[in-house]
Amino acid sequence: MRPPATPRERSTPEPTPARGEADLSGTTPETSSQSSSPSSSESSSPAHEPVTDLSDLAPAWTAGRAFAWPGAPLLVALALWAYAVRHTDVSRLDDYGLVTALHPAFWAGLVVLTTGFWFTVRDPSRPGRWAAGYVLGLLVMERATQAVVYPTPLYAWAWKHDAVIDHLLTAGGLQTADQVGDMAVYDQWPGFFAAQAALVRLLGVDSAAMFMAWWPLVSSLMLMLPLLLIYRTFTEDRRLIWTAVWLFYVANWVGQDYFSPQSVAYALHVGVLAVVLRRFGRSAVRDGWPRQAVWTVVITVLLVAIVISHQLTPGMLVVCLLALCLTRRYRDWVPLATTAVIFLAWCLTAALPFLSAAMPDMIRSIGDVGANVETGYGATPTGTGAIATSWAARLLSGSVLLLAGIGVLRQRVLRHRALPLLLIAAAPLPMFAASSYGSEMIFRVLLFMLPGAAFFAAAALLPKVRTLAADAAAQGARGSAESRRRGIVTWVPLTALLLGTLAFVPSYSGKDRINYFPPQEVNLVRQLFDQAPDGSLVVAANRNYPLAYASYGSIDHYWFLDDGRSHVDRIVKSPAATLARDMAGVERPARAYFLLTQGQSANSEMNGQLDRAQLDRIQKSVAASPRFRLVAENSAGWLYVLKQTGGAER
Amino acid sequence: MTPQELVVRMLPPFGGWLALAALALPGGAPLRGAAVVLFLAAGPGAAAVRVCAPALGARPAEGPVERREADFARHSDLLERLMLVLFLSIGAVMLVATVLIATHTFSAQRVLLTLTLLTTLAAFCPPLRASPAPRTTPRTPKGSAQ
Repeated sequence: MRPPATPRERSTPEPTPARGEADLSGTTPETSSQSSSPSSSESSSPAHEPVTDLSDLAPAWTAGRAFAWPGAPLLVALALWAYAVRHTDVSRLDDYGLVTALHPAFWAGLVVLTTGFWFTVRDPSRPGRWAAGYVLGLLVMERATQAVVYPTPLYAWAWKHDAVIDHLLTAGGLQTADQVGDMAVYDQWPGFFAAQAALVRLLGVDSAAMFMAWWPLVSSLMLMLPLLLIYRTFTEDRRLIWTAVWLFYVANWVGQDYFSPQSVAYALHVGVLAVVLRRFGRSAVRDGWPRQAVWTVVITVLLVAIVISHQLTPGMLVVCLLALCLTRRYRDWVPLATTAVIFLAWCLTAALPFLSAAMPDMIRSIGDVGANVETGYGATPTGTGAIATSWAARLLSGSVLLLAGIGVLRQRVLRHRALPLLLIAAAPLPMFAASSYGSEMIFRVLLFMLPGAAFFAAAALLPKVRTLAADAAAQGARGSAESRRRGIVTWVPLTALLLGTLAFVPSYSGKDRINYFPPQEVNLVRQLFDQAPDGSLVVAANRNYPLAYASYGSIDHYWFLDDGRSHVDRIVKSPAATLARDMAGVERPARAYFLLTQGQSANSEMNGQLDRAQLDRIQKSVAASPRFRLVAENSAGWLYVLKQTGGAER
Repeated sequence: MTPQELVVRMLPPFGGWLALAALALPGGAPLRGAAVVLFLAAGPGAAAVRVCAPALGARPAEGPVERREADFARHSDLLERLMLVLFLSIGAVMLVATVLIATHTFSAQRVLLTLTLLTTLAAFCPPLRASPAPRTTPRTPKGSAQ
């Protein structure tokens, strides 16, 4: 074997032992194997097309139509979307969330957009910017719709993060568990919150709630560049690159794109992987070349930002980089060692208080895969809508993973060339055995598998990737089944793409009845915090309401559905008396409030806890009790205060 | 230094000082928001990437096995720079804000001022030199056939 003479040759894939003969002849394994026996699918490609990966599906457009074609469906889709969001009424969401509330024009727009994307991206002569335009259109329709149609930000968790930022601004520094209890965990991973606190002040707005509804769009846009870079490391085929990006966004229904540390940490995680895949390969760091010192410094900045922001992401990054080191192509231990050292340094210093307290539970959960993949009590979809949307999400994820499996099996050349991406897709799986991560590990593993899985899923929808030599061999063997096959390779993938894109909506927005808090609910809770003295207690069914963590440094909470089942049963049996006993320990001037809102009710009903009748019974019992006084009520809920003995009621 | 190079070099710190000046506008003003967000999202990263550019581009990146498009690698490098501009800026904002809040010296103006000063400092730094050229005859990888 002659020594590789050019950078391109130096990055040729590893020869495999089983193909030693071919290696000695100087050809790549896939070249030798494919050229000797061109497959039937390869031989069926159109005979008049050029010999490239991009040439299987050449449409016959005239120049003028070719220029006008990609823009028209995109504009029509966006116009339909704009019309739909203006005519969508979210005031009465049912158990299907946004799915049934959306104007039908939204669905028509999504169909037009997906079809337009497919016919644009499969044309190799079309510039990549059209595909980029369609993906941006998809992001607008997927991730901006909620920001436009809902007057308030979604997700109780996003509101919680807003409260953390507010607390940091009030406290002016990091605090310990002695001062803020369980919420101190956020002070031990403060990167995202500190940056957002600065942004809130610099923008001159009251709180992050002013802009956090747009965060899903922002965080999704942040992912586009690293995703493109990763895919462009393994193929020049624009169809494959953009279809993979499309599938990634469609399959990313998990909902970690909201206003949260993990949304930024995940984008940085994908960014680090992109840099490692491009800059820490064998050709870049082989013997005789200086080490990638500057690149190491660059990823160190990103790694530190990840480590100080989120607990799980560095762990996922470590397993992904470890998996990469399994290949000779990426056996550079510098990124892995750098990540591990920074992660450990943070865990053993700033994050030590939380980790030392949580370590016993974490150790117990290691290896308990069954418990780690369970979703836990209070997370069982209940009711037709909740069950249907949960199944839509499961089917969507299952379909993308199935497609990825088909892609891996079918695309032999790609499987070899993009082996590092396959390893990155599989690397998060062992994390099932590590922890339940608050009953969320299954979703997080899925999220971290997606960059790799989407690539191979896209490969399953596209013609086989061939080597140049295999192309040449296939050129003369194209048969009469060409037109039939062209129909199959056009419409079957389009149908799959359409179904996946449409399934995203119920998967992502199907539980908006839980996640949406109307302005009346926000106002009701705000009234509570406006009048609650320091040291007060807020009792509620669960934490699914806006501003639930407002003033968490001075206001305590008791969410009775988090309590043991026997106690919940006692509350249902004798609501006012039991709740009054639970709230009796609060001493003046602090007060004890009972808050029941529609967000709590929706969460309880749709997750298999108390149903509407039971919650109504609790509310009526408290309303009728002489021990409680109504403070405020509106269409979104009720606020009561416990009358205190030993003095005049205020 | 050409006028174009001077503009590229001075644009990030100018954005920082402009954002600082924009704080004089009322809270929530769109111009204030645009100046702040643009600088925080791109300023520090752009300054860092300009300084590191020759060293970062000294060696070709990994790419697809078969290259058919002449500009593909160049476009990938451009995307990579854009990503670094964004992510290094985000990383810098998070690091500076965290350090200030951990030392109980946090204020948003200090975060912006620190980033602007760092960006200005970077603008006056010469670009990092590229690493020495590779040897023309690479060693044979261990275990490979010759």
